[in-house]
This record gives sequence, structure tokens and C-alpha cells, in this order.
Amino acid sequence: MANLLVDERDAKFVLYEQLNIEELCEAETYSEFSREMFDMVLEAAQKLAEKELAPTNVEGDTVGVKLENGNVSVPPSFHSAYQKYCEGGWAALPISPDHGGQGFPNVMYIATMELFVSANQSLMMYPGLTIGSARLVQLYGSEEQQRMYMDKMYTGEWCGTMCLTEPQAGSDVGALRTKAVKRPDGTYSISGGKIFISAGDHDLTENIIHMVLARIEGAPAGTKGISIFIVPKFRYDDAGNLVDNDVSTMAVEKKMGIHGSSTCALNFGEKDNCIGYLLGEENQGMKIMFNMMNEARLSVGVQGLAQASTAYMHALKYAKERFQGPEISTMKDPTAPKVPIIQHPDVRRMLMWMKSVTEGIRALLYYAAYCEDRIHAAKTPEESAKYQGFLDILIPICKAWGSDMGFRVTELAIQVHGGYGFCREYPVEQFMRDCKIASIYEGTNGIQALDLVGRKIGYKQGLLFKSIVAETGALIKSAKKNYRLKDIVEPFETARNHLIEVTRYFGLKSITEDFMTPILYASPYLELFGDVAVGFMLLWQAVVADRRLEELYGDAKADTEEKKAELLKSNRSAAFYRGKVASAEFFANTILSLASGKARAIMSGERSAIDLPEESFALV
Amino acid sequence: MKSLVCLKQVPDTETQIKVNADGSGIVTDGIKYVINPYDEFSVEEALKLKEKFKAGEVVVLSIGPDRCVEAIRTALAMGADRGVHVCDEAVNNGDPFVMAQTLAAASGNIEYDIIFCGHRAIDDDFAETGAMLAELLKIPQITLVTKIEVSADKKTITCERDIEGGKETVESPLPCVVSSQKGLNEPRYASLPGIMKAKKKPVDKKTFADLGLTPDAKLVSKNFSMPGSRQAGQKFEGMEPQEVAKTVVQALRSEAKVI
Ligand SMILES: Cc1cc2nc3c(=O)[nH]c(=O)nc-3n(C[C@H](O)[C@H](O)[C@H](O)COP(=O)(O)OP(=O)(O)OC[C@H]3O[C@@H](n4cnc5c(N)ncnc54)[C@H](O)[C@@H]3O)c2cc1C
Repeated sequence: MANLLVDERDAKFVLYEQLNIEELCEAETYSEFSREMFDMVLEAAQKLAEKELAPTNVEGDTVGVKLENGNVSVPPSFHSAYQKYCEGGWAALPISPDHGGQGFPNVMYIATMELFVSANQSLMMYPGLTIGSARLVQLYGSEEQQRMYMDKMYTGEWCGTMCLTEPQAGSDVGALRTKAVKRPDGTYSISGGKIFISAGDHDLTENIIHMVLARIEGAPAGTKGISIFIVPKFRYDDAGNLVDNDVSTMAVEKKMGIHGSSTCALNFGEKDNCIGYLLGEENQGMKIMFNMMNEARLSVGVQGLAQASTAYMHALKYAKERFQGPEISTMKDPTAPKVPIIQHPDVRRMLMWMKSVTEGIRALLYYAAYCEDRIHAAKTPEESAKYQGFLDILIPICKAWGSDMGFRVTELAIQVHGGYGFCREYPVEQFMRDCKIASIYEGTNGIQALDLVGRKIGYKQGLLFKSIVAETGALIKSAKKNYRLKDIVEPFETARNHLIEVTRYFGLKSITEDFMTPILYASPYLELFGDVAVGFMLLWQAVVADRRLEELYGDAKADTEEKKAELLKSNRSAAFYRGKVASAEFFANTILSLASGKARAIMSGERSAIDLPEESFALV
Repeated sequence: MKSLVCLKQVPDTETQIKVNADGSGIVTDGIKYVINPYDEFSVEEALKLKEKFKAGEVVVLSIGPDRCVEAIRTALAMGADRGVHVCDEAVNNGDPFVMAQTLAAASGNIEYDIIFCGHRAIDDDFAETGAMLAELLKIPQITLVTKIEVSADKKTITCERDIEGGKETVESPLPCVVSSQKGLNEPRYASLPGIMKAKKKPVDKKTFADLGLTPDAKLVSKNFSMPGSRQAGQKFEGMEPQEVAKTVVQALRSEAKVI
């Protein structure tokens, strides 16, 4: 067994055989790159992840962050891992060379992130937020702001944060109260409290650049009156020295997971000496944040993917090593040899579920990132719009389906381990705890579902949805030509038709007085949509894998079942492609075949959840 | 300081190795290849010497099939300056002597103050090539090196080397062949800017004919086989400790025949 983080063979399959990302290199934007370089990047990322990041994951969990005298310290081992990460230039991998980055395609960023996050999600929170906030400065900052902040953030010398949440303003960002008052010199005095701020304070870097959402005195209520400010922990004074900017850390949360990531309650301007620098224009805060949303949400989906990935690898290894009970056919014979649990059908079922779902999330997330690259590499506005459409509609699914199903994979990993999985001695319980947050922050999964139903499917008379229907239709048409894929194509086509039916149903409901139904069923709808989106990816992969497998059978003259079985034992590539086809078959028949029931549940329109008087839930 | 680093690409230690059907070699399909770990120490040490003397060159020399370029590029991404790749059916699977012959011939056109070899390659474990290379070039060699000090005039080298139970310090004139042992250093990682630059660094590809040599193998490998599977252990239970000890001693003597 190779590394226990990511099945690198599968990652490469998605990149080179499914998406064929080498084609991107034909575009001017990516002409500097080649497959050889991509391979080197994956290789280097894996090495760093395995050798430097993963070994600090347990300490991150057990030691966690500490708040002492108003200063937060990260687990000690994080320092050198972070330094190596920055030295390698990883902090700005997808950023254009014009801004000090390497300019790699986003799909490579996501592939490397999967490796890094599966090694240590807590640690990766720091650079993850940094690249996000630096991008804001890149897009909206003045030249001076870029030189002052962005440059140091893209090297990792300084970190960044996103400060949205307040006690009364969680999902409802528009309710925030942090205040900004314009000063005569054009800067702003910031005052107010933020909570749950990831990387809000720490000692990895000497300075931290907060992106703070606040309301300028007199601005309209709600999201329309929000502006965004650069608020450094230490600001430059007139003489160019870094001085304290009156940002104080009141508390760090004690959490279920990601203990190594500091989650801070921050107070701005306690001494009335906190200065913020407006980013972009006044009252444009939400619009600016929206531009960052796709990237940020995709990154959170990657957390679900990464934890699922490493959880699956660990569970698989354990299942091959743990002996328990005899094989089912010799169950009654006490002298029968004990077998590794991977030989028990129920364990295999769990592993197969984990395998197909993890590979499905991987393909979907890489595909979303690839869509972004296709936008940048597009030759025509139509091509660009097409991929922008795919990306926009898939993002809430990447985030919510990725984190929810990723979490379930981590949960199954514990189940595969039995009692040992529940114990700290094995790492899988940490994976599950660390993974959970991904369904909550960056817009809860409930909010993602509302985004999908309320904004994305109705956008431009359903244009985005129609393009997905067309794309999947084309795949079905070509896959149908291959009779061997019948058991995948049929359940997929049926599930897709159910999705179309439910979407129409929502369309009708939304123009009647029964508009509550789509809102009530937004999350089950997102789940169904995710099933179909992932089914789409796995069918696509099956088409490729089946072709390769047949070639290998042909080359080896394996024309009988025995000879094929023989080849699968001795030939790694054949075994891999067989596994790919199996993932698609399993997913189609175990998950996609539930689509009819899921569709029926949604279209029942059953309303007890909203109609029930609160008194009837229970007395609490 | 000019260093020539001899580098071999080998299967990753974590790859599961299978012998092919006719026993003539291993199944190569799906294997992941890496730089021989000992050669990574060499690359790192060569880079450090160049950095220390603020001048010089690090040349990476590798023999093997096309895929070897990956290993060379990785070394270039770590910071080496250029590569020489000898790729020829006749030598790709050569024995240590053929390898040493080839390295010696290829080194003829390269300027160096020092030649690094890994103490051994983790695939075939011969640990002979470096020594033979030094003999063929008629220059000194220092094996199993864990520390290197080069004099300011670049004329002598002082090395610490592993010996049974301790260290030995050896001095030699330069140029010489040094074989790198674990403990020499912590190799750096290839960085992204390094990977970008590596693409533009030259790699010279050479065939056996270019070097004007005919291979003179001393060794024929006849057959590869996997080690036999380990037998399950024996358990002695339900006895008094003295009795267990007695039984174990007996078993070790009469069954395992180890005492
Ligand atoms: C570890 C951690 C790190 C975080 N990092 C950051 C950070 O770096 N920066 C930052 O700004 N914030 C951060 N957050 C905050 C996070 O984004 C919020 O917790 C999240 O947005 C939800 O807000 P809330 O906790 O107030 O929950 P609430 O908004 O109170 O939601 C509670 C429940 O109600 C549902 N709900 C709420 N409103 C609606 C609605 N209109 N329709 C349907 N359902 C609804 C939600 O889906 C959820 O299930 C972090 C939180 C945690 C725990």
C-alpha cells in the first residue's frame, strides 16, 4: 500500500484520463505547463503532505491551540510544517505570476489541496484563509494595498482571515453590527465584535490581515449596507513601523474537531484605536464576498473529500489486516481459519460505498475546478459562459454534498474499525470530528440548498439546469452504445429523469402560492441533485475505464472469465480500471436507484414539518 | 565547487513488488518510481557545497529508460543545474560493472571536483557501483559518508563515515568518489518555483554508442523469486512460567535449531 492520504492512481485518472487536463496546456494561459510538470507537482505535494504535514495532525488534535495573555499559539509542530509549505511556494500555486504566484490551473490547486488537507485539515485552515483573503485584495485592492498586504500573503509571510460572523449574524450575515466610522484621512475606525473567526489569532506569522465586514455609519440596514475593510493586526504607522491596531482576542472556542485551527472571538477597537482600510467601494462588501464564494465553497467541499479520502484508505488497510471470524461459508466450524474482515460481505459493502462515494466527490470537485480553468482558457464568450454556468450550479453541490457524504465516509471508516475505530488509538475518529465542520461553515448546507433552489435552478429561466441536462443527455447517448455499461446507464438515466421531474415540479410550485414546498425540500433536492451529478461523473469515468480495461484484456488475450480474473490479479492497471467500473456500477445500483423514492418523497409535498404547531414537537 | 551526482531511479519503497511470470524480473506496470533515497542525500549535499562556495555546478547523471528523466527533473527542481541521461537498451538493466563503466565514460566530458554516489540503490542493493566507478577513474573513494567538510582551496575533503559501532574520520585529496549514507543531511523538497525552473534546464540524452563503449557485464541474473511466506508463530499457553521457558528453549533448540 502506498500513501494513506489519497489514492494517487485515482487522482491521476481524474486529471489525465477523465478530464484530460493536458488539453488546458494548449491554451495561452496555461501554455507553460505540461503533464510532466503536473506529475512533479503532485509528487512534491504528496511528499510534503506525508512527510511534514501528516505527522503533525495528531499533535494538532491533542494539544490544540492555546490562548494565553491574549495571544494564541498553535500546536508547536505546526510551525515547521507551515514554513516548509511556504518555502515550497505552495501558498500561491494557482495565483498568476503577475501577482507572485505560479499560475497553475485551479484543478491542480484542488488536487494538491486534497493531499494537504487529508494530511492536516487544521493546519491547512491558515493558508486556506490566507489565499482567499489575499485574492480579495488582488481583485479589489488598490496598488498600494496590494503591495502592502497581498504580496506578503501570497508568500505566506502574513496570514489572512475572513471576519463575517457575529453572535446574532451567522447565516444571516446582513444582521451584522460591527461599525465603521470614516476618519478625516479617509480611513475608518472599526468597532465591534466578531466570533468564530478561523485563524483569528495565532503565532504562525508576525501579522494577520483581517477582512472585516462592517457597516459604515448611516449605511442601509441588511446586506446592502455592508462594506469590507482590511484590518491588520499590526498596522503601519506614519514612520512605516508596525504598531498594534487594537484587535484583541477574547476567547478561542473548544471544539469537536480541527483543534489545531484557532476559532477566535475578536474585539475590534476596544481602545478606540482600530483602523480599517476600505476594500473596493462603500457598501459593496457583499458583492465583493460573492465573487470569492465559488472558490471558498469549493475549498470547503475539498475538506469533505480529503477526510473521506484518508478515511477510506485507512479503513481499507485495516480491513485487510484485521482478522476476525471465519469466512461466511464456514461460519459454524469453530476450527475454520479466521479471515481478514475484508472478506466479510458487510465490510465489503461499506468499503464499496466509501470507495464509490469518495471517487465520486473527487471527480465532481476536480471537475468544478476544471470548469473554472476552462473559463480562463475559453476561446469564445459562449464557451466561457457554458463553463461558468456549470460551475455556478455545481458549487452548492460540491460544498454540501461533498461535506455531507464525505462525513458519512468518515463515519463508515469508524464502523469498519469496530471498537478500535471509536478509540483514540486509531486516527479515524479524528477524521470524522475534523470533517464535521465542513457542513456548517462557509454557509451551512441548508443555506447551500437554498442557494441551489432559490437562485441557481431558476437563473435565466433555468438556463444552468438545462445545460446540465444537455451535458448528461449527451453522455447517456454515447454510453448507451456500450452494452457492457447498461447496468450503469439505465439507473443513471432514470435518476436523471427523476431530477428533471422534481425540478419541473419545483418550477410549478414556485409560481403558485405553494412556494414553501421547494424551500422545505431544498436539502433533499440538493441530495438528489448531488447523486445525479456524481452519477454523471462516475458514468463518464466508467466509459473511459471500460475502454482501457477491454484494451488490456485484449492485449493479454484474456478471453475467458478465468483469464480475466488472472489478469486482474497480476496487472495493476487492469485491477484499477475494473475498480473504476465497479464504483460506477455500485453507485448506480445502490445510490442512484434510490432516486425514485427520493423524488417521490419530495413530490409528496408533505408539509407536516412546516404545518405542525411548535407546541406539538415536544416540550422543551 | 563542481559536483557530479550519480543518481538512480528506483521503485518507491512502499510499492508492493511482484515477480513476473517467468521470473526474469519484476512486474513494472503501475509501479511508482522515485529517486533512490541515498542519491537524494547526494543531491542535497552537492547543492549545499555549491551554496557554501557560492559558485560551481551540480550535474546529475543517470542511467536508465525514458522514465528516468522524471528523477533527473526532480533533482533539477531541487536545484541541480543540468542533467545527463544515458538511455540505452544495452545498459538500462546492466550489472554494477556495466553501470560503473558507463558512469565513468559519461563523466569524461563533465568537470567535477567531487563525484557523489549513493551508498547503495534500494532496488538491487548491490552497493558496488560507486566503488567500481572510483577504481575505473583511478581516484580515491570514501564510502558510507555521513559528514563532509571541503577545504577552502577545494583540494581536500574530510569525511566522517559509519563504521561498526562508531565513526571514522577520513581525509582525501579531491577529486574523489563519495558514497552517501543516511544521516548525511535532510534532503530539501522540490519547490514549485524549482519545478518551473527545472523545465528549462538542459538534460543531455546519450546512447551507449555516443559514449563509445561496449558493455562488459560480469554478472548474469538467472531468476527472481519472492521470499517464502512466513510461517505462523507458535503459542505456548496454559503452563507455569518455568514450564513455558523450558518448552521454548527446547523448541528453539530442536525445532528452530537456533541455539
Ligand atoms: C470552527 C468554525 C470556524 C468558523 N470560521 C469562520 C470564519 O473564519 N469566519 C466567519 O465569518 N465565520 C466563521 N464561522 C462561522 C460559521 O460560518 C457560522 O457558524 C455559520 O455561518 C452558521 O451560523 P450560526 O452558527 O450562527 O448558525 P445559525 O445561523 O444560527 O444556524 C443554525 C441552523 O439554522 C439554519 N438556518 C439559519 N438561517 C436559516 C435560513 N434562513 N433558512 C434555513 N435555515 C437556516 C442553519 O442552516 C443551521 O442549521 C466558523 C464557525 C465554526 C464553528
